[in-house]
Amino acid sequence: MSMDVVRHAACVCLTLLAACGRSDSGGGSTPPSVRYPDHVAAGGNQPPAVEVNSPLTADSANASDGSKIFSSMNCDGCHGGGALGWVGPSLVDGRWRYGGTDGALYQSIFYGRPRGMPAYGGVMSPGAIWKVIAYIRAQPVPAVVPTQRWTGEPRR
Amino acid sequence: MRMAPFAAGALIVLQGTAPRDDGQWTMPARDYAATRYSGLTQITPANATRLKPIWSFSTGVLGGHEGQPLVVGSTMYVVTPFPNVLYAFDLTREGYPLKWKYRPAVNPTALGTACCDAINRGAVYADGKIIYNLLDGHTVAVDATDGHELWRTQIADLSQGETTPMAPFVAGNRVIVGPSGGEFGIWGWVKGLDLATGKILWTAHNMGPDSAMLARPGVGRYVGEPNIGVSTWQGDSWRRGGAPVWGWISYDPQVDLIYFGTGNPGPYNTEQRPGENKWTNSVLARRPRDGTLIWAYQFTPHDSWDYDSNAEMILADLVVGGRMRHVLVHFDKNGFAYTLDRVTGELLVAEPFANVTWAKGINKRTGLPILDTTKTTGASRGNVKGICPSLEGGKSPASPSAYSPHTGLFYTATNNLCMNFEAAPVTRIPGTPYIGATTPYMAGPGGNMGEFIAWDAARGHKVWGIKEKFPVWSGSVVTAGDVVFYGTLDGWFKAANARTGKELWKFKVGSGVVGAPISFRGPDGKQYIAVYAGIGGDWFLLSGDVRSDDPADVRPPADFAPELARHTSQGGIVWIFGL
Repeated sequence: MSMDVVRHAACVCLTLLAACGRSDSGGGSTPPSVRYPDHVAAGGNQPPAVEVNSPLTADSANASDGSKIFSSMNCDGCHGGGALGWVGPSLVDGRWRYGGTDGALYQSIFYGRPRGMPAYGGVMSPGAIWKVIAYIRAQPVPAVVPTQRWTGEPRR
Repeated sequence: MRMAPFAAGALIVLQGTAPRDDGQWTMPARDYAATRYSGLTQITPANATRLKPIWSFSTGVLGGHEGQPLVVGSTMYVVTPFPNVLYAFDLTREGYPLKWKYRPAVNPTALGTACCDAINRGAVYADGKIIYNLLDGHTVAVDATDGHELWRTQIADLSQGETTPMAPFVAGNRVIVGPSGGEFGIWGWVKGLDLATGKILWTAHNMGPDSAMLARPGVGRYVGEPNIGVSTWQGDSWRRGGAPVWGWISYDPQVDLIYFGTGNPGPYNTEQRPGENKWTNSVLARRPRDGTLIWAYQFTPHDSWDYDSNAEMILADLVVGGRMRHVLVHFDKNGFAYTLDRVTGELLVAEPFANVTWAKGINKRTGLPILDTTKTTGASRGNVKGICPSLEGGKSPASPSAYSPHTGLFYTATNNLCMNFEAAPVTRIPGTPYIGATTPYMAGPGGNMGEFIAWDAARGHKVWGIKEKFPVWSGSVVTAGDVVFYGTLDGWFKAANARTGKELWKFKVGSGVVGAPISFRGPDGKQYIAVYAGIGGDWFLLSGDVRSDDPADVRPPADFAPELARHTSQGGIVWIFGL
């Protein structure tokens, strides 16, 4: 069927398992739960939960590793090259269905989401997930773009 | 081999012997021959300018509304994209109110395994049942009278990347179904289900050992080498080689063969699957009773460009080269229109109907394309530029053509897009995409991104065309009144003179059209045209900012068609037009 705008980094195959299967660099163990500060809390009280933060520093090496993992784990097959959105939503518009905190992103990748996001916890280590999050965080988010304008003559 | 008795209500229309049209539309392409030809004559080029909307209904669903309604007796049936609601409208009452509405439970996980929007290509009626596929890999049969579920069969495996948006086909007492998943590394197949119970009676893979393909080389007309479905692949790459069956099926009861196309090989990076990759991008002829492979022909061996062959195989009797031939006609994504002898598989005509750069032509003797090797892609070949058609196809299989025995012409939507293609290695992870290419599009020569054309399949040339600003992605219907209907991505539904191509009428239907119109006779004896509005399918991915339901997914308009989002957003509407 038809597709795409999908880029797949040339690394992959063998490095994949090394990068994703075992690497545990800085990831620690799976958190029991995460806090969603952007959810409405019943009664105004947040449920007790761990606030999960990335153990990685926001450096270009982590983002670069995350970019390769984003391709090698086929994330771009759904979210598009550059995570700009494809059959899955854009990850670089600064807006989030399930919360945009580190912990919420981790939860989305590790456990999946019900409308089609696969659970990658079975094939990606916590360290690899944090690197993908570092990559997403490193992408430029456009300034607020509430209005799309078509002005002047049609371009085609 | 005797065929099974026909189910009650099935219609047989073969060219030259067409009975008077009964005004119904009971299967996806109206008849076994997949003509999408209506024998109704009230609407003509003289009065089509007076067409007006009679009725409309919001489906409440935003996914791409591909496919077509059915009209059986005085009831119209509509299947929506995910979550695959089935509506039954009473055409005898004012306002066409619902008789009932069937709400299956569909696993939303399927949304992440469907490559190109949560579409559905429609239902089929047979034996008192409305039968269709749910996106999550189930086929259901629903009582056409009261909407209660009669059977439900799991046919596909989401965890392997299989989803099921295609419209089932009924031949005799077999329900024929297939999966999508050419972008997910599936092992493509078709299955034959028992019409009465839904039980899976046979499964035929499109590649792999002969035993899995239900192929018996040397028996009948199948001349493939033994285990050609393995020997034309490297190692076990056939096991994840794609060849989905997401298009349309036709049937010739005289020779008792079903015909269908297979989709692209996976992944897109050719270097991970050396060989011809049979039978991807092919037409296969099988016995509906037991699935036996009778003949096959591959349109695009070792596909380098995602040129699926899932487009309809229209059956017609044409005079080709001075002889009456029983043919099938196929507009391939690769830009060539093929006319084959449908009994033997012999290639009769293969001419480009769209701008083609990947091949210089098709060798009629060998059946092989004459390649322009500078357009061959692969991870080691870098960014290959200027490939036409794009992987949307010279025509999309999602946009089924029509054939009028009255004019002798075939009518089809076409795309005038080209692409660059940069392949890269990719690893299969079950249930995730298995693609490996970056493929930006651009308009082809002339700048118009689409054209609706009439085609002479006996001689292989275009008779007329209506140029469109955007790719044309709708199906079409042609009537005995010599009017042909199609829709555009910017939301126009149009009527044209089937002989001259003169545009007769148009109406803005509220969203881009990726569905296929039908024509039927209402209980009041009048001829009507029905069509879905509701942009989607590939255009869910490609249009950019046409979705407005999700505040967490905001995209710019498509770079190659920035104006498209100016004219349409998502949203499903069923329309009926009449005089």
